[in-house]
This record gives sequence, C-alpha cells and structure tokens, in this order.
Amino acid sequence: MGSKVTDPNLSTVRSIVGSEFSDMDIIRALHMAKNDVTAAINIIFDTNTPKFKPTRIISKQQVSSPKSSPRAVTTSSKKNNADVENKKCSVATELDSESVDWWFVGSGDVAGLSTCKGRSIKSGDKVIFKFPTKKVSVSPSPGKGFGRAASCSEIVRFSNEQDWEIGRIPNEWARCLLPLVRDNKVRVEGKCEFAPNVLGIMDNINLSISVFINRSMFVKHHHVSLKDATSSTDESVFHPLPALFRLLGLSPFKKAELTPGDFFSNKRPFSQTVTSLHAKSERPSQNGHENENEDPVSEFDLDNIVGVASSSELEEMDPPENLLCELRPYQKQALHWMIQMEKGQSRDEATTTLHPCWEAYRLADKRELVVYLNAFSGEATTEFPSTLEMARGGILADAMGLGKTVMTISLLIAHSGRGGSLGSQPATQSFIEGGEVGDTGTVPKFSNIPKKATKFTGFDKLTKQNTSLSSGGNLIICPMTLLGQWKAEIETHVHPGSLSLYVHYGQSRPKDAKSLAQCDVVITTYGTMASEFSSENAENNGGLFSIRWFRVVLDEAHTIKSSKSQVSMAASALIADNRWCLTGTPIQNNLEDVYSLLRFLRIEPWGHWAWWNKLIQKPFEGGDERGLKLVQSILKPIMLRRTKHSTDREGKPILVLPPADMQIIYCDPTEAEKDFYEALFKRSKVKFDKFVEQGRILHNYASILELLLRLRQCCDHPFLVMSRGDTQEFSDLSKLAKRFLRGTGNASEGEVKDAVSRAYVEEVVEELRNGEKGECPICLEAFEDAVLTPCAHRLCRECLLASWRNSSSGLCPVCRKTISKQDLITAPTESRFQVDIEKNWVESCKITGLLNELENLRSSGSKSIVFSQWTAFLDLLQIPFTRNKISFVRLDGTLNLQQREKVIKQFSEDSDIQVLLMSLKAGGVGINLTAASNAFVMDPWWNPAVEEQAVMRIHRIGQTKKVAIKRFIVKGTVEQRMEAVQARKQRMISGALTDQEVRSARIEELKMLFT
Amino acid sequence: MANSNLPRRIIKETQRLLSEPAPGISASPSEDNMRYFNVMILGPTQSPYEGGVFKLELFLPEEYPMAAPKVRFLTKIYHPNIDKLGRICLDILKDKWSPALQIRTVLLSIQALLSAPNPDDPLSENIAKHWKSNEAEAVETAKEWTRLYASGA
Repeated sequence: MGSKVTDPNLSTVRSIVGSEFSDMDIIRALHMAKNDVTAAINIIFDTNTPKFKPTRIISKQQVSSPKSSPRAVTTSSKKNNADVENKKCSVATELDSESVDWWFVGSGDVAGLSTCKGRSIKSGDKVIFKFPTKKVSVSPSPGKGFGRAASCSEIVRFSNEQDWEIGRIPNEWARCLLPLVRDNKVRVEGKCEFAPNVLGIMDNINLSISVFINRSMFVKHHHVSLKDATSSTDESVFHPLPALFRLLGLSPFKKAELTPGDFFSNKRPFSQTVTSLHAKSERPSQNGHENENEDPVSEFDLDNIVGVASSSELEEMDPPENLLCELRPYQKQALHWMIQMEKGQSRDEATTTLHPCWEAYRLADKRELVVYLNAFSGEATTEFPSTLEMARGGILADAMGLGKTVMTISLLIAHSGRGGSLGSQPATQSFIEGGEVGDTGTVPKFSNIPKKATKFTGFDKLTKQNTSLSSGGNLIICPMTLLGQWKAEIETHVHPGSLSLYVHYGQSRPKDAKSLAQCDVVITTYGTMASEFSSENAENNGGLFSIRWFRVVLDEAHTIKSSKSQVSMAASALIADNRWCLTGTPIQNNLEDVYSLLRFLRIEPWGHWAWWNKLIQKPFEGGDERGLKLVQSILKPIMLRRTKHSTDREGKPILVLPPADMQIIYCDPTEAEKDFYEALFKRSKVKFDKFVEQGRILHNYASILELLLRLRQCCDHPFLVMSRGDTQEFSDLSKLAKRFLRGTGNASEGEVKDAVSRAYVEEVVEELRNGEKGECPICLEAFEDAVLTPCAHRLCRECLLASWRNSSSGLCPVCRKTISKQDLITAPTESRFQVDIEKNWVESCKITGLLNELENLRSSGSKSIVFSQWTAFLDLLQIPFTRNKISFVRLDGTLNLQQREKVIKQFSEDSDIQVLLMSLKAGGVGINLTAASNAFVMDPWWNPAVEEQAVMRIHRIGQTKKVAIKRFIVKGTVEQRMEAVQARKQRMISGALTDQEVRSARIEELKMLFT
Repeated sequence: MANSNLPRRIIKETQRLLSEPAPGISASPSEDNMRYFNVMILGPTQSPYEGGVFKLELFLPEEYPMAAPKVRFLTKIYHPNIDKLGRICLDILKDKWSPALQIRTVLLSIQALLSAPNPDDPLSENIAKHWKSNEAEAVETAKEWTRLYASGA
C-alpha cells in the first residue's frame, strides 16, 4: 500500500461501479491500477471473484488477480459453501429427473474470457460448454453441443443458448474438466453471473459452474481414464479430479493426521510453504555447495539416516512356549513390536483411521455424499479407505549379530495364521490397482511391474483371484548360503512338531501350490523365487506366486535393492498379508535401495516410482534435505533398528559381546614386489592419464576398474597379475552347463539344428571337470586362457579374438555360429597361473605377515578366517599353508549348499582345523562362524559395508572369546589410497553428496587412486 | 627368411601330416620354403578319378591360419568345380574359411570334392554344362583325362 489513493478518485470510481463495492475494494483496485481511474474500474469489473460480485456486499475481501481467483475461492470456502448451499437447491431440483446417476459436487465461479465482439449475454443466461473432441472421438458427450472440433484441442469454449460462441474458460479449469467430461465422468452446467452489456474481445464474463459427477466413477473402480492423457510423458502426475475439487473450493473435511502431501505442498523451491517440521529447508536448494557447511546430513552415517530406536521405550513380550531358547530383553521388545506391526494398534482403530493418502470430501449434493479422493493416484471412491489397507509388517533392521533370525522365528510361532484370513483384501486389492495403473500411465520405463501387478490385483480378476489363491503360511526368502542355517535354527529353536517346515529349493522342488501352502513355514532362496516369476505371464506364475501367504519374510532384504532387477520385481509381486524385511544394512549404496524395500512392503504411495522419485529421490539428489527427512519419517514407524551400542532402560548395552579388536597391519613390500608393482602402476597410469586427457574417465570406467583390479591383485601377490583370474564367476561347472543349455533354449527356430546337444555339453563339462588338457583348434597348442563359446567350443581367447574381423563379435571357428564377445565364458582350468607357482614359490609380504600371525595363534588353538576377494589368492594361500602344515578348509562360490554346510560344520567342530579360507562374497551374509575368533581381511574392498558384514560373521551372539580382526594393507600402494576412498564412500552412502558431487567424486576418487 | 619365424602351428601341422598322413593324401613342405607344400591326392575309389594321382600345390599365406591356404591342381583334371588353371571352387577356401580348419582338412575336402562334383556351383562352365546335359558322357571324359594326365606320373 505504498502510494496514497486520493479521495476524488475513489468517489469517481464509486460513481461508476456503484455502491456494491466497499471502499477497501476500490482503494485496492486503484492501488493496483496506480491511481488510474479507468484502469481501476476495469480491474473491478474484470475481477470476477465472488468478492467483487455486484450482488453481494462484501467487506474486507482481498482483490486478487483473475488468475488466482480459484485459489481465493479456496481460502474463503466457508463463505462459498453457504453460496453453494443456496444454489444446490435450485439446481438439484431442476435435475432430479436425470440425477440418479449424477451427483452434484458443487459450484464455483469461473472467469470466462470473451472471444467474440458485439454479442451480449445477460446475467442468469444459461451457457453451453463446448468441449473439444479428440480427433478420433466417436461418441460425443450427450447433451453437450459437440458440433465442430475445436481448433485447439485444449480449449473449452462456451456459447449462449442460441449456440453463438461467447467465450472460453481458463485453462486451469479446462485442463481438469476436459478429461473428465470426455469420459463422461463429470457433467458441467453453467450460467452467466455477470457480463458487460456489449462484449468485446477478452472481456471478462463471470460464470457460475455447477459440476456433477457420475456414480460410475466410484463404483466401477475404473481409474485409467481419470489420468490426464497429456501427462503420460511427464513425470509429474496430474489428476484432474482432485484438481477440479480444489478449483471448486472444496476442501477435505477429513484428512489423516500426517499426510504425505504435507511434505510437498509447494513445488517451487524458492517460496516453499515451509511446515514447521522443515523450517530449516528455507534456503534455496540450488546452491548445492552451500549445503555442505550447514547441512547436518553430511555427518550422517547409516544410523543417522534411518535412525536408531531408543529401544528402552518399547514394551517386551514373552516368547511363546514353543520357543526353546531364551530371548534377551531387546529381542522380546522386537517380538512385541513386530506383533504390534502385524496386528495394528488395534483393528478397530485401524478401521476407523483414514488412510494417509486419502482425503474425504463432502459433496454439495443434498444426498449428503462423502467422497474419498486419493491425492496420489487420483482415484475416487465412496468406501471408507482405512489404514487397514496398508500392508502389515516392516523392516527389522537391527545391526548384524543381534539375532534377527531368532526374533523372526519367535514371531513365526507367536503370531500365526493363514493368508487371506484378515479379510481386508478386496479393498487392498483395488487400492493397489489404482496406484499401479497410475504408474503405467506416468512412468513408461517402469511399466513391467505395474502391468504385472495389475494382473495380479486387477479388480475384475479379484473374485477369481481370491478363490484361486491358496492360503499359505509363512514364506522365508534368503540367500542360498543361509538356507541351511534357517532350517537348522528353526529346528533347534522351535518345539518339535509345532511348525511344519519345508525347504523349497533345487530342481526337483514341487510347483504345486497346494503342498506349499500346507506347510507352516516354507524356506526358499531369492534365486528360486525369481526363477518362478515370469514378468510376461502372470497367470502362469505357479508355485510361490499362486499362494496368498500369511507372512513373507525377506532375509538380507537388501538383496532386492535394485528395483529393476528380476528378484526385486518378483519379491514385490508376492501376495501376502504381512511383509517383513530383515536387513542389517537397509541402505547399502544409495537412497534408492530403500525404495525397493518400500515397494515390497507396499508402503503407499512410496511403492510407486513416480512418487518416490518426485518427492524423495529428486529432492535428495538435488540436495534438498526434505527428501531425506521424508524418508526418515516414512521409515520411523515401520522400522526397528538397534545396534550393538544401543542401551536398555538402565542405560546398559542391550548386548554384551566380547570385545572386538580391529587392527590394520601395514606391510612393507619387498624390493622385488615394489619393482613389479611400480612397473605395473606406471603402465596403468599411462593408460589412465590418457583417459583423463580425453576427458573420458567415466566412459572408460570398466577399463579403469580393470586396471585397478590388477594393481590391487598385485598387492596380494604378483602371481595373481600373471594369471588371468577372471574365472571365478563361472568356475561352477554345473552353472556352466546350465548356461549352455539356456543358450540352446533361446536359439531361434532357424538355429535349432545348430544348437548344442545336451550330450555334447555334458561331454565338454565332463572334460573340463576332469581337467582334460585338450588343444586349441587354432594354435594347436594346449589352451592358454581358454574361453568357451555359447556353442560349447573351447579355444584360446586370443586365438578366437584374432580370428574375428571386429573385436566384439564373429563366427565360432568350429561351427560358424555367430557369437559375441560377451557370450564367451572363461573356461575354468586346473591351474590358472601361467607360472609354475609350486616350483617358483615366493611369499609376498602379505603372505609372510599372515603366516606370522597364524603361527602365533597356532599354540592357542583359536581358529581364524582368512578373507580374500579373489579365489585365485585363496589358491595361492593353499601352498604356504600346506607347506607350513596349517590345516585349513575352504569356502567359496564353487561349493553347492551341501558342500558349504559340510565345510562350515567341519570348521566349527574339528579342533584340528585352524583356518577357513573364504571368499569375501561367498561369506558375506548370514553365516554364523563364531567358532573362529580371528578374522584376517587380506584385501580391502570398495564398499566397507561388505567387508564389515563378512567380519561380523564371527562377532555376534554366541561368540565367547575376544575377537581380533586384522586387515592387511600394503604400504605405498593403491590399497592405502583405497582406505581414503572408503572413507569417502561412507559419506556417499550416508547421502551427504549430491548427484553431481557423486559424479565428480567418482572422478576425484579415481584420480586419487592413481597418484 | 620365411622359415625362421614359422608359426608353431605350421610346424605342428607339418609334423602331423608327415607322421600320420591321411589316407590317400600326401603333403610335404618344400625344403626352401616351409610354407609351400607339394601335395598328392589319390583319386577316390568309385569316382571318375579312381586310379589317378593328382598333384597339387598348397601355399600358406602370411596370415595363415587366419586366412585360407592357397591350393591349386597341377595335374589337369576334368571336373566342373576345377578350371583349366587348376583353381578350385570350394567354399572353405574362400569365404567359409575358418582358422579351426587345417591343411589336412582342406585336402580331405578336396578329395571329397572329387567324389562328389557339384555342377550347380561351377567354376568351369563348359564342363558343368557337359555334366548336366550328359553326365555319363562327362564322367567318361573325366575318366579319360585321368588316364591321360594323372596316371603314374
């Protein structure tokens, strides 16, 4: 109100507009018009908010620009409702004859713009809206003048009763109305409230619009058409119905206490409507670098992201009698919490609590209808959506070694039932359907899953589904290494006979749902589950997917972290009443890991990528801390996480473990090793510098990692570099055979005759198994770095590649089948070293160090685990072990389940065995190796979490001795620099870096390694 | 010298050709150029070439085994897939060459070609026409040529 409005102007205006307008309105208009009388008069007439309506005398109303008028309606909804009440009677009576199917939603005022000149329309005149048809539209809406196709497909025009075009309505209205009217979901009537006597182009015409909604919208659960078609390529979701409700000034009379919408009330980053929760986020998020100084997130590690429960608040619950072991107090708390999560606060409460995604609206219709709108999916329903529809379960994220398995087993027996007995599924189903359909529409790349999920949960199939799904008990999905352990733990901890147990694994497993459903507990692996899931054909998914489980438990749930992986999609498609994720590391690499878990858990709406991406991922990557805050607030109620440092009510640690001693052993390389390393380093650096020069570091990421791999292996032992130890992946021969046979299955019809016969593959595999030497058909020498083609022919890698005209693909020299380089499998050979390592045996500094350590331990009789990432290094270690009479067993990826169990048993029980050689990946998860009290980590791994997880196999419940963990690092090498990178990585995991920063960090990191 | 850096593969092949020759085929390297072979193939039984001894020359180019050996009949032969210069129309010597093939397999293929002339993919148009129009007569001519040029040379 800067400039002073002069009184003469006021009275001039008053004399023209009449006494209906308050002084304040006129002063405001004058102010907006900068004291120009004519302009002010225009403003008053042009502005068509209810406050300016000449028929009413309103004081203290704000002048708002025409554009924002609908919002103004919202703010004054109280007033407006009264207005609506009045109209309701008159309009509803007119419509009674045909209104059985049409409900009156409400009316609102719209500022139409004149598109004609010279015509006139009077206040009270009926107007007819013309909605442009789609080009291919066949059936125009009944009762609406659909004469000609509008030139612009988005413009909604209106005409008078003589069918003369008068004007158009604002785009924001058109945008909402158009899709709804087209689909005959909504009907609009309108009349003129006020218009200038003689219309000129762009004159304002005040209209009153009454909106009626068709009941088909609610009963049929048919939501696809509710989506604005134009938004399908756009990631931002536009739902016309909620938008229309807003324009009409309807506000929900009932909302859940905390809704997801609270977190994003405004899209614009600058003028955020900051809720008290997020007062801090007011700073513009664009200034990414500014964040670092003040951003508390940067110090967060995993625990800070996801929060650690102050467990002292939780109640304890005694385990059922069937449990044959004592639970520690914190485990009893977990049991209580988990049961609460499954049963809900109380069923009644859940039934009467509004689901956070939904809002309740009261329609203006005299039939007093209440409509529930899902602000996220755009769905509407007249049935009360209660929180019952949310999946039951959560994430048990206690740190490793706290006994998640035992807690889960106690849950299995404390709360048991059969899938589907909850009786809430119809609502759940339809609810999910709506959301999934939404995804299909908005995120095309993601369409695999929703399509499938829709098939599962589609409303039409609902009745069929319910009867065809068998009711099952508990399904536990775990990595293959843990299968035996789950079985053993259930058998030892549960009173015999109280649970029927079945391990669903292996080739001969039954596909028949009935026998699976009969068991109380079915244990299976992620691989088995993924293999039974076919994304193309949902109906044929038998086995695990044809059962409605009472409870599904994902052990080491981070296995599903990549949301686009088959295993992740498969897990999300399982049907269950209760869902649990067990994981010590809910976030392994980035925030997106959480998304997969939420999708599995059906935590709505976060299981839909569009929402997750828009409200969490994007803001998070952009450095907006609200993303993180939101994740925390989502996780808080559904996750329980305690660490070994958590304390109980009295402040005592919840778990007392013998101390663990972490130590890094820095080794000095010998002269010879140093020379070799330096030579290799120089060679690698030349290549790396070339990439830097070209600015193509990230394009050559794989090659650079390869260079680094060689350097890292060199730190273990130079022999490793002399070998080409990339055989680990396929050294499992049966896997090899499977891959060949799979290849056969894929061959198109024309190629069938070329396909490899099973007998031939078996022969080749047998040959490999027996270590038969054979010769390369090209060089006629013994194989040197042999590869196997998909057609099961063995050749030297170089010979084969040399025979090709281009480097990526060519013909198999033996059978002329076209093959590409990535189809080649490195053939396992007896010895992967090109030097005779036995004869020329040299200890590396690390091996010397390790041998010293083991020698010191020998007399004490304590057992040790030696971890390396490279099985080739484990091969090497066997030589000095044998020579020094250190008895050992070995566990790596080549062993099958039985063999693994045997090795673990042997190591745990045979007191003569001092060492377990273990590959870091094989030993990463779940295995309980508390028989050992020493762990030696021979080489650093990029991700410290993986390393930690392996080491924690020995530092967990059941460990009685002091634990020593020793990591070997060779001084002055890439390993030492990796330590620094690990520290950075920790920060990246904790989300302290933005996307851009991560990108540059990666380059920085690589540069760091090559200094 | 061509012989000084002879690939191991060629040496190995040569040794094997000499120590365990294929029936009806002999191949021996020239003394001054180990890449040049003198080859003799016996006409297969029950073919028009039965009883004949056919001389060929075989040369392993620098790129061998990534490129096919060059082979040519020195003995005149009446065959639809062999022209009067002794050049042979055989796919494995052209685009169907594979480094997994060897001298031995090449020569065995040529021997098989003698047993089964293929007039549909001719190198020598006239002979092929003859073969197609009057096979008995063509076979007679082949026998005749064998007697004339390939007997006991």
